[in-house]
Amino acid sequence: MLFNSIDFFIFLPIVYILFWLFGKDKPKTQNIILLLASYVFYGWWDYRFLSLIIFSTFVDYFVGKAIYKSSDKKVKKGWLWVSIIFNLGLLGFFKYYDFFVDSFVDAFLIAGFQIESIWTLNIILPVGISFYTFQTLSYSLDIYKEDLKPTNDLISFGTYVSFFPQLVAGPIERASHLLPQITKVKHFNYKQSVEGLKLMLWGLFKKVAIADSLALIVDDIFANHSTYPSTTLLMGAIFFGFQIYCDFSGYSDIAIGTSKLFGVELMSNFKFPYLSRSIAEFWRRWHISLSTWFRDYLYIPLGGSRGTRSKAIRNVFIIFLVSGLWHGANWTFVVWGLFHALLFLPSFYFNTNRKHLDNVNLFSSVKTFFIDGGQILIMFILVMLGWVFFRSETLADSFSYLQSMLFDFTHWNYIHPRGYRMWDYYVLIIGFIIFEYIIRKDERNPLNFNNRFVRLACYLLLIFLIFMFYDDAMDRSFIYFQF
Amino acid sequence: MKKFILKIGLYFICIFIGLELLVRVFHLHKDRPVRYLDEYNVEKWIPNQTGIWVTGNRRQNVGEYKINNFGYNSVYDEFQPKKNKKEIALVGDSFIQGFHQNYQNSIGQKLETKLNKNYKVLEFGYAGWDLADQLHMIKAYEHLFDDIEHVVIYMQYTTDLKRDTYTISDRFSLDTPLNRFLKEIKTVVYLRDLGLMDPITKSIEKIKTVINGDRSVKEVENVNQEKEDRLKLENFKQLVKQYGYDKHKNVLLLDYSLCSTQFLDYLEQNQFKTINFNKSFEVSKTPPTLIYDQHWNNHGRNLITNLLEEYIQNH
Repeated sequence: MLFNSIDFFIFLPIVYILFWLFGKDKPKTQNIILLLASYVFYGWWDYRFLSLIIFSTFVDYFVGKAIYKSSDKKVKKGWLWVSIIFNLGLLGFFKYYDFFVDSFVDAFLIAGFQIESIWTLNIILPVGISFYTFQTLSYSLDIYKEDLKPTNDLISFGTYVSFFPQLVAGPIERASHLLPQITKVKHFNYKQSVEGLKLMLWGLFKKVAIADSLALIVDDIFANHSTYPSTTLLMGAIFFGFQIYCDFSGYSDIAIGTSKLFGVELMSNFKFPYLSRSIAEFWRRWHISLSTWFRDYLYIPLGGSRGTRSKAIRNVFIIFLVSGLWHGANWTFVVWGLFHALLFLPSFYFNTNRKHLDNVNLFSSVKTFFIDGGQILIMFILVMLGWVFFRSETLADSFSYLQSMLFDFTHWNYIHPRGYRMWDYYVLIIGFIIFEYIIRKDERNPLNFNNRFVRLACYLLLIFLIFMFYDDAMDRSFIYFQF
Repeated sequence: MKKFILKIGLYFICIFIGLELLVRVFHLHKDRPVRYLDEYNVEKWIPNQTGIWVTGNRRQNVGEYKINNFGYNSVYDEFQPKKNKKEIALVGDSFIQGFHQNYQNSIGQKLETKLNKNYKVLEFGYAGWDLADQLHMIKAYEHLFDDIEHVVIYMQYTTDLKRDTYTISDRFSLDTPLNRFLKEIKTVVYLRDLGLMDPITKSIEKIKTVINGDRSVKEVENVNQEKEDRLKLENFKQLVKQYGYDKHKNVLLLDYSLCSTQFLDYLEQNQFKTINFNKSFEVSKTPPTLIYDQHWNNHGRNLITNLLEEYIQNH
């Protein structure tokens, strides 16, 4: 079920009413309702893959208990490996099996041996598998590290694994943060609910008005990039930057907002990443739940920045490459990860990666305006170059796109595939950047204005713009569903 | 909780009123005229309605229409042939009706400008019409058409030959009190035109089907192309026979690329006059149709006008 579908707008009020009507002060009933709702939400896409989530829930529930009960370190480790192999095995099979088989065949081909790819299975990728396997894995890892006690409540654990607002595209929650909230009784909180609705509206605006309306243009430019001039390709890359940001952060906002309606707080996933002044700051603000996951469960166990310089650099490369590969079984994602690792390396090497921990304030002085503004612009251009790899179908496409964009200067006016005025989109994006700058201090309260008339005007404007930029020809699914 | 739900309701009402105001101020909606059936059972728009027809979100294309006393969109208030002028009638569906352009800039007006002042072009266009509707109207107003020199009938082969006799269309079933009321709420009209209401109406239909217990899946009619073409030709013959067709005066405006060879051969063998606009459209470097809509744009209408002018000059 999509957040931006009519199905969800019928589903959510029903679950909300049932939850607060029958579940008031009863945590068990609340969790049963949430669990069933989550299974309906997921099964709406394909009920057959529900079995994977249920199976994964059982495995990690019992493995978690076994890790905790065991006093022998070796046995503990053994059980942890069961969880790791199971979760990564699921992910590996459904997401990477075909990719590795094809890459293996291609490698032989390069070496001059032609072998037929008879092992490719054309496996359907279950929606959200990259998200919920990481979430269940964090549960076992936290218990192993003794940061968490296993729960004895299977319903609560099942709800934690499949909690519908964040099931298919995150934020990837840690058991230590989400599970205690699920286990305890959830009370209705007026302020929290209002904040939730505001976030949902803001997320929906980003998704429908910006991401979806730009998608038509981006798809056209990337699909026919060889026929377009360099200025159009540049526009395509910039638009994709906004599309993917608004698509994914829009989803996260709706997820966080929906959770708030049920008295649950999810972690923030985006903090205005395009207002970053360095690549390190960008990664502190972009897909936070994934980058912190890799930091805590991969980078630090590998040794982090401790040890020799070369080992630390190796660790940086590993997390960026794995992060790239996590996004999809394609070499384009690997190169995207590598590209970011190379961008990150100078600040890591010169120990400047902990700079810019505060929010940018461009208008504090003229000097700041030019220095910070320039850094933001450079960062955006670099990130945008990376998006070309991310969005292209193949590596050859991305290189040809970049070559035409950067080295063959040509220009003629772009015509929207559906004939719409292009100025509307430029104004929309500029307005969006200005608004993001205004609200940059609190990503969880985007419409937090004191005056109620200003608030009402904001709601009205956002809904109006959602309608104005809606197009029934657009693909309404979220980009991160495929990851 | 009560306060929360009450406030949601209150905000919903305020936002809805705000949206209605914005939609009206920016005129994002279509003004849909009201239809009626005249004494000859011919479908028309109620006379003297004016309005704006908006196509594509964010007012990408705007056309002004004016329904005349006869019931069709035209600059002329009356369709009374005059003795000192030669009349040309354009008959067709929404393409001839021309809500997608200002009524002063219609194909008829363009044609009049191109021809000398002795010609007057009367436009009988009505959205959704097929050949049965058109021939029925021509027959019903035989006395009017008798005085007209040329009658151009725009026909879309793929959709306009599906029946062999005229019956009153089910378009009137849309004119329910509920629909009339909803038409007054411009936000609803706007959202409906955007396609945003489609999932809701589809869901309601689905629920209705489940409640009524009608779960049978309608089998898609698998008529092969040859059989369909034969049927269309038969329908054409029957319509011509039933309503009469003045081969001397009438000319069919067709896109040959959509027609079957069988149909085109029949027209040729039986000396039906035709104008094929497909070639002009194909060679045109500029798109002849609106991009967000299938209807002809200004360039497309110019191309059609050129063909009509050429035909009139040669006949």
